[in-house]
Amino acid sequence: MRGAIIALIFLMPPAAAAQSEEHSKHNMAITPAGVVMNENTDVLPRDCEAISRDHEITIRVGRKYANEPGMTYGMSQHEVRVEPCSRVSVTLINEDDVRHQWMVHGLPNYLYPAAMFHLEASGGQTRTGTFIVPAQHRNYLIHCDIAQHMEKGMRGQLVVGKGSGDLWGVAHISSNFLRAGYLPESRSSIVVFATLLAFALTYLFVSRR
Amino acid sequence: MERRHWLIVIAIVLALVSYPPQWYPLTVRLKLTQWFGAESFRALPESVAPADLQPETFCPPDLSGWREAQTIEDVDIRRSPTCVADNPFAVAAFVRGTNNVSQETLLRSGLTADAVVKGRDLDGDGDPDEIHIRLEVAELNGGSAITQGPVTRYEIAPGIRPGLWVFAPKLVGMAVENFSSNKARDSLRLPSPAIRVEQGDRIRITLENTHYMPHTLHLHGADHGFVNADGQGNEGVPFTSESPVLPGTARTYELTPRSSGTMFYHCHVQPHVHVMMGLQGLFVIEENRPNNWLQTMNVGAGHVRAPSVALRDNYDQEYDLHYLDLDKELSERIQINNDPRLITRSMHREYDVTDSTSDYFILNGRSFPYTFRESLLVADAGQRIKLRVVNGGAKGIALHTHGHKFTVTHRDGVELPPAARAPQDVVWLATAQRADLELEFTNDGVHAYGPGIWPYHDHQNRGITTDGIGPGGNISAIVYSEYLGQNGWPKTRGVSWDAYFTEAYYRREVPVWESYAPGLFSDAGTDWRLMLRIACLAIAAGMLIALGASGFRRRRRS
Repeated sequence: MRGAIIALIFLMPPAAAAQSEEHSKHNMAITPAGVVMNENTDVLPRDCEAISRDHEITIRVGRKYANEPGMTYGMSQHEVRVEPCSRVSVTLINEDDVRHQWMVHGLPNYLYPAAMFHLEASGGQTRTGTFIVPAQHRNYLIHCDIAQHMEKGMRGQLVVGKGSGDLWGVAHISSNFLRAGYLPESRSSIVVFATLLAFALTYLFVSRR
Repeated sequence: MERRHWLIVIAIVLALVSYPPQWYPLTVRLKLTQWFGAESFRALPESVAPADLQPETFCPPDLSGWREAQTIEDVDIRRSPTCVADNPFAVAAFVRGTNNVSQETLLRSGLTADAVVKGRDLDGDGDPDEIHIRLEVAELNGGSAITQGPVTRYEIAPGIRPGLWVFAPKLVGMAVENFSSNKARDSLRLPSPAIRVEQGDRIRITLENTHYMPHTLHLHGADHGFVNADGQGNEGVPFTSESPVLPGTARTYELTPRSSGTMFYHCHVQPHVHVMMGLQGLFVIEENRPNNWLQTMNVGAGHVRAPSVALRDNYDQEYDLHYLDLDKELSERIQINNDPRLITRSMHREYDVTDSTSDYFILNGRSFPYTFRESLLVADAGQRIKLRVVNGGAKGIALHTHGHKFTVTHRDGVELPPAARAPQDVVWLATAQRADLELEFTNDGVHAYGPGIWPYHDHQNRGITTDGIGPGGNISAIVYSEYLGQNGWPKTRGVSWDAYFTEAYYRREVPVWESYAPGLFSDAGTDWRLMLRIACLAIAAGMLIALGASGFRRRRRS
């Protein structure tokens, strides 16, 4: 899946002209409290014979849950584990004064338009929605797609069954890729000093022989 | 002879043979020519074959029918003449209020139910006077520790993606087009939306800070109290009126403006950085008129598709023009690190605005050639149009119209007396300054010189470039209807635009006149023969230095 996402990002045609704001194709209602999109309480995914189990999960989101250095926003739990073919009912409680989202990507398109299940709560609001996961053991991306919210902490994973390996950059679970900004200002001097020290010691060692 | 003496001789001979004749003094070359005759002709390197340019589509097709004139929710939305148009459902929702439109319109507008809430008609003149606007803060072309390249991607010109912060209407759902695209959705863009309110309305603007830095809202030039009804700070200035709005929190600003005019709004937290990142927009206060249903936001500025009553009474059309310039050394800082602590240090302590230069010159969020998709002023002979112009950039602009002289009717929102008005073709706009311009399409040799495609642009040289490459910057055009194609693209004459619609052109990789006369103005090829001589000379020099050094050592030893 990682490869696929990266490939898609790189292969996007530059003049993709599709105007994309029409959400009317999705199964969704907009209320002042927020949005529940592509709710599915009873249609089984093709690879499921029955609903294996019902999960009820409460996710709290906001500044308060940004409890690692460098985070701005966070979720009360960044990982959700469920059984294959289970029915998952998620209650999103937004403790900030601004919008937040809890969005799952990669679900089967024939059940979930745009392959996603999406909860969105306005500031201080709560939204609940239900969806049914397929039988496949897999990790799905959960995030908030307000600009920069995923980058600043609102990234998680939905693990179905045994999963398919942790996603990268999920708070408390896996690392992301940027570390260079934390080096001390004296980094160049330290590197030069270490190189010179190694040179001197090696030279002395070799010439003493 | 010793081996090293042989080497010295070889090196000296190599140096003499490989020394390029081009580097002999001219007098020596003339003497040699006299003695031995002229050097035989050797052709200069061939031109480099033109690269196969893959230009973008100049004018993307209007798949959703957004350009057409239409009536939605009883709002008459005018046809958008340019090839890229605003979402008409959003226009309708901005006019009626997102609380007063059908679920269908709301879904198609992309807005939340509380994006623009319109309440009671307090003066009984047929339009709502309680207006509650919500603004969020979005980062475009930001950095990511997770994904390659800038995220929530927004291009001002082919391949140009500066990091930006904008105030944004409150939109439902994803910030990007879809999960497999990194591209910002249509309504999430530069500039921050032009906001339109009516004189005397009770306006509340809630800033919902969805960003990771503190921000405020400052209503520059608009009549607002220092504190609001609850005694809370209402000026947006952290060191005099109130603490800034922290990430994840919100604050409501209030105003009931007594005077109309073209004003401005911007963030006032570390404004030398935040305003220049794009946190600024036009703030238009329209005259109070009966049945004046206003298009509360004009996303991306430009053509006003549902203009006010006063505008319709006096003009045929109205356009919002928002000029901006950006320093790429500032805007790239949000793309390097992800941690807000590191970004804050980089932007507010390491960046020095007193050493800044402007690199990108932008009109309504785009630079040439993208300006021609959205910012053309399209008119018929005999029309009269109003332009509301703001310069939000750090440098002034010398706005010039080809083929027309305009009249400045208002400055900084205040009407000029008739005696102070005269037609002119350049107007200087200092930073944050506004001017209302009246363009008359009357072919009288002063106001207009007849139909055509007439550019308008900042007449300062840097303003018509994108990081020094021209044509670029804020160039756009006045286009008469007969010069506009069905799809909204002007029927330009002259040279091909293919190169301008490639990223390579703005990366300085395409010879600027190549398409005019291939060969004549192409890149010249490389003279590898000369390069070989110089490399041989370098080898000889290296040998001589080594031999000299070893000779020096031997002498010291003995």
